[in-house]
Amino acid sequence: MVIKKGEIWKSLGIGLSVILTVCWLFPYIYVICCSFKPGTEVIAVPPSFFPKVFSVESFLNLLERMDALKYLLNSLSVSLASTIIALLLGSLAAYAIQRSGAKLSVILVVLVLCLKMIPTSSIVVPIYELICNLGLYDTRIALVIVYAAINMPFVMWTMLSFYEGIPTTLDEAAFVDGASSLQTFSKVILPICRPGLATAFIFTLFLAWNDFLIALLLTSTNAKTFTVGLAGFLSAYNLDLGPMCAGAFLFSFPVMVISLAAQKYIVQGMTAGAVKG
Amino acid sequence: MRLISRKTLLLFFLPGAVFMGAFLIYPIITMVIDSFYEIGITGSKRFIGPDNYIRAFTAGGFLKQLMNTLIYITVAVGVETVAGLLFALFFELDYRGSKIIRSFMMAPLMIAPLVAGLTWKLMMSSSFGIVNELLTRVGILESPSGILWLADEKWSLLACCIADIWLTTPFMMLMILAGLQGLDTSMLEAARIDGAGLLQQVFSIKLPVIKPVLLTALSVRIIDAARTFDIIWAMTEGGPNRSSETISIIIYKTLTRYNDTGYASAMAVVFIAVLVLFTLVFMQSLWNPKKQDR
Repeated sequence: MVIKKGEIWKSLGIGLSVILTVCWLFPYIYVICCSFKPGTEVIAVPPSFFPKVFSVESFLNLLERMDALKYLLNSLSVSLASTIIALLLGSLAAYAIQRSGAKLSVILVVLVLCLKMIPTSSIVVPIYELICNLGLYDTRIALVIVYAAINMPFVMWTMLSFYEGIPTTLDEAAFVDGASSLQTFSKVILPICRPGLATAFIFTLFLAWNDFLIALLLTSTNAKTFTVGLAGFLSAYNLDLGPMCAGAFLFSFPVMVISLAAQKYIVQGMTAGAVKG
Repeated sequence: MRLISRKTLLLFFLPGAVFMGAFLIYPIITMVIDSFYEIGITGSKRFIGPDNYIRAFTAGGFLKQLMNTLIYITVAVGVETVAGLLFALFFELDYRGSKIIRSFMMAPLMIAPLVAGLTWKLMMSSSFGIVNELLTRVGILESPSGILWLADEKWSLLACCIADIWLTTPFMMLMILAGLQGLDTSMLEAARIDGAGLLQQVFSIKLPVIKPVLLTALSVRIIDAARTFDIIWAMTEGGPNRSSETISIIIYKTLTRYNDTGYASAMAVVFIAVLVLFTLVFMQSLWNPKKQDR
């Protein structure tokens, strides 16, 4: 009797979780559906969920309205380059902080944490002025270095919790064998930390890829990223929602696929530090 | 054995520090200085002491935006926590295919906030939005224009909250699921044998176990909700009539539209100070007792 009752609860739970998932994916599926509708159907009253006529008009419009491929390439190259820089420098710094027992390292940890909390929206203008003074406005280099800087505290924070899980005896053994600190880091610690690096990599990549505000301020034509182009549909082409949906779909589909494929790392990244403490 | 000497620590930290110094610390220092000046559009500077701060905290300052931010945080994070907790209890169940369902639930997790904002803007449009169409069909609304989500001052902030909730409830769920993994199943079994009901199991056993994770997740979310920019910008740009304007938005607008750098800097300094203080207090109370436990 008891078991039976438990099973009813269980199937109820399973049913509910399936329904919830479908509901939760609804907005996204709706966007996908809209991007395959012809332009007039997107703003038809009353709206329909599935496209009545299947068409790629929105995608063609998107390509016509903005240099979508160029913006996508900008987004991709900028986020990749900035992620690699942030990862290299961030993991190195975090290693030193984690392994050094000096009082200074505690201060640095707190500093990194505080820097991680800074809202980008409030520091963008000094950044903008700095970039203009350096003559880097509307270049991809500007975006690369700014993203690298802003995401570095995040990389450090993630890597700190990964290093914590690696016994210091490994470092000691390397030290006894005569390895320098840099050698220990690159030859012993980093290879073990590959899952941690993968986690930090994916997260930082998405942070840069998804960013809107910095690219909005620092670019105009050459280095414009896809998010800024997409937001252009908000004001300029107010009723052109078809291409906007197509763009949103194009832009976030790879993200969805990667997050499904690399879910293990994403879960690790989100819970790093929280579960281990 | 001291593995990393002080010199090595500084040496390893330096390259990263150059980046962070230039684009995180230097901007803050600039802003602290600017906040004491009145800065004209041409760049002319005049020292006015704490006037910018006084202006921020008097009527017509950023008190309304502060209130909006607090409402946004309370509603969005509150709903996310409760929903995340409920979802986690359902998604915790193990069955054939449960992992796939869980994966799909978490798929929107990494979507750009801007895209989330655009998506909901599309869905909440008053005339051709599917949200009102559905609400009308199930009988909650009388006509599809019953609620003007984005154009009505009463609803605009809530509309932004809904997009936020959609985007980040999976994150809450994920954190709570991770916390539940630390649960000792024998405890649950013992409770079950002793006749504890489902609710009792949740409140007396599961909640205490996930408390530390839940608190961390809460702090992360509170800070992120306070900083939200993209979602609100995409959906309403703070309007109508400033009804969905949060601190992030007002700072950005003051900087880029009104070119009032001094005043915006003062608001930003207050904002950053509050967030950093919150983080430090929170981390202190959360981490110290745990470290001693070990």
